[in-house]
Amino acid sequence: MEARIILQIQIPWNPNHKFSRRPSLYLPRFFIRASSSTSQKPRSYRGPKPSKNLVADFISRNDDLARSLPIYVGGASLLAVLFNRTVSGIAPVADASSSQSRADLLALGLAVTNLLTGLVWLSIRPKSITPVNPEGVECKVVVSGLPTTIVSELLWAWESFKVATCCKSLVIVYNGICLIQIGMVAESTEDKKGVIVNTDKLMQGSVYQGVMKSKAQSYLANLSLYPGRSELPFLPANTQAVILQPLGDKGIAVIGGNTIRGFTSSDQAWISSIGEKLDATLGRYFIDSAAEVSPEKD
Amino acid sequence: MSIRICNLPFNSSFAPQPRARVSSRSTRVFARTENDTQQQQLNLSVLRFTFGIPGLDESYLPRWLGYGFGSLLLLNHFSASAPINEPQLRSEALGISLAAFSIALPYIGKFLKGSVVEQRTLPEEGEQVFVISSNIGDSLKEDLAWATYVLLRNTSTIAVLISIQGELCVRGYWNCPDQMSKAQLHDWFKKKVDEIGLADVKETLYFPQYEGSSASWDILPDGTRSLFVQPLIQDIYEPQKMDGFLLVASTAGYAYSDKDRAWIGAMAEKFRG
Repeated sequence: MEARIILQIQIPWNPNHKFSRRPSLYLPRFFIRASSSTSQKPRSYRGPKPSKNLVADFISRNDDLARSLPIYVGGASLLAVLFNRTVSGIAPVADASSSQSRADLLALGLAVTNLLTGLVWLSIRPKSITPVNPEGVECKVVVSGLPTTIVSELLWAWESFKVATCCKSLVIVYNGICLIQIGMVAESTEDKKGVIVNTDKLMQGSVYQGVMKSKAQSYLANLSLYPGRSELPFLPANTQAVILQPLGDKGIAVIGGNTIRGFTSSDQAWISSIGEKLDATLGRYFIDSAAEVSPEKD
Repeated sequence: MSIRICNLPFNSSFAPQPRARVSSRSTRVFARTENDTQQQQLNLSVLRFTFGIPGLDESYLPRWLGYGFGSLLLLNHFSASAPINEPQLRSEALGISLAAFSIALPYIGKFLKGSVVEQRTLPEEGEQVFVISSNIGDSLKEDLAWATYVLLRNTSTIAVLISIQGELCVRGYWNCPDQMSKAQLHDWFKKKVDEIGLADVKETLYFPQYEGSSASWDILPDGTRSLFVQPLIQDIYEPQKMDGFLLVASTAGYAYSDKDRAWIGAMAEKFRG
């Protein structure tokens, strides 16, 4: 199946890909949204954009209203049943003798179910916590001498954390060197610039030692409650949550966030996976560079 | 069935309430702390229906009650003596609409914040495949292997396919012919992917309720319910420099929340450029 692509600028027709003509998707941009090639499936009437689920959108936007909706429905139906009884002159007697009462009882039962479901939904509402803007200065300090692949990997890790979580500060220390300090940093009182990480002091502190000993990620969900806070002076003073991720047994990544309990368990799993990857990459680099240096020493 | 009633007045402040009233109650009372989702903290449910049977999902109770009571209403209607008076019709209409609403309640509840995502189920037939192109450098191979592994582990993905400039890395449960060598499988996947034309997807596609589709998509395993495609666009104004795409599929519906999709986008960034 061939089709011609109508484009505003010259783009060579690529014979490797099959397109089908979708004039309805012709956009006044540089290219057609040629994901119309997915229109080969019979659901092509939906187009490449999956259909919007109006119910889901409405509920996500009006969470509180949706939670209390069953209560209103249940309460209103309860009143409606009683009203129906009084208006039609039948005594409000709740027995199963006449079919009217049976119908009323069933409706009441359903109303009560709705009421209770609404109450359950209200009770399991997650508490929304507002993020706190970190006080400090923006900073991007990467130690010099690292190859570009390593630097791009570290910056990729920072971008991932920044986009996907509430992370606002990142410090990676490996092999006794602070490799990168990026994001919001506490403002030093002397020179209005960021506080530089004192690597030796960090590595001797109890926070670092504890994480190295346990070899596991440490999640400080509410940093203000944590006494070891003073060992992380480079983080902005109002950092709300911190994840300490050990990178193998040679390094640590300190990830500061702006919301209490802002890192979900999925975030924690991802951060530990990325930590393992960084450890593998950095470990290999440092072993290689050590191997280059040591023949000279001999 | 047990109904556990907590006498703590429900309000959202979550401050621990004075427990003095507990002892005065004669019914069995206790509070359950819930740590359903990561966003909640100490959370005291007011009322919880539970049958106490492990594995039974009580959030579908309104649906069962809706079906049960609705059918009883219909039974009542058709077994009633001939002239059904108006008040009864009214209350039956009310009952039926309440039943319909109750049946829809679990569906609505799925979209509320903090709802539990269903777990993925692994397909019974088919085995896992792991195919990686041989035309790429070792470091890229390692990155691809790690990325696919992490995607399978940290999300409810059962099948992942990463394509970088035509070279594929495929991992997970796929509907592919057995008895093919790795190189042949790679070419087979490449052909299938070209048929679908996924390489030209310009923006992310998310199908949370995937129902199954045309012949080209049958490489996806049976029971796929969610599908997410993330393109690796090199430069949005130069479409011929497409880097590829990343495709993840799961057997759970609505498997990829905003956060999951943000993380998958971050993984895709690794292979850009």
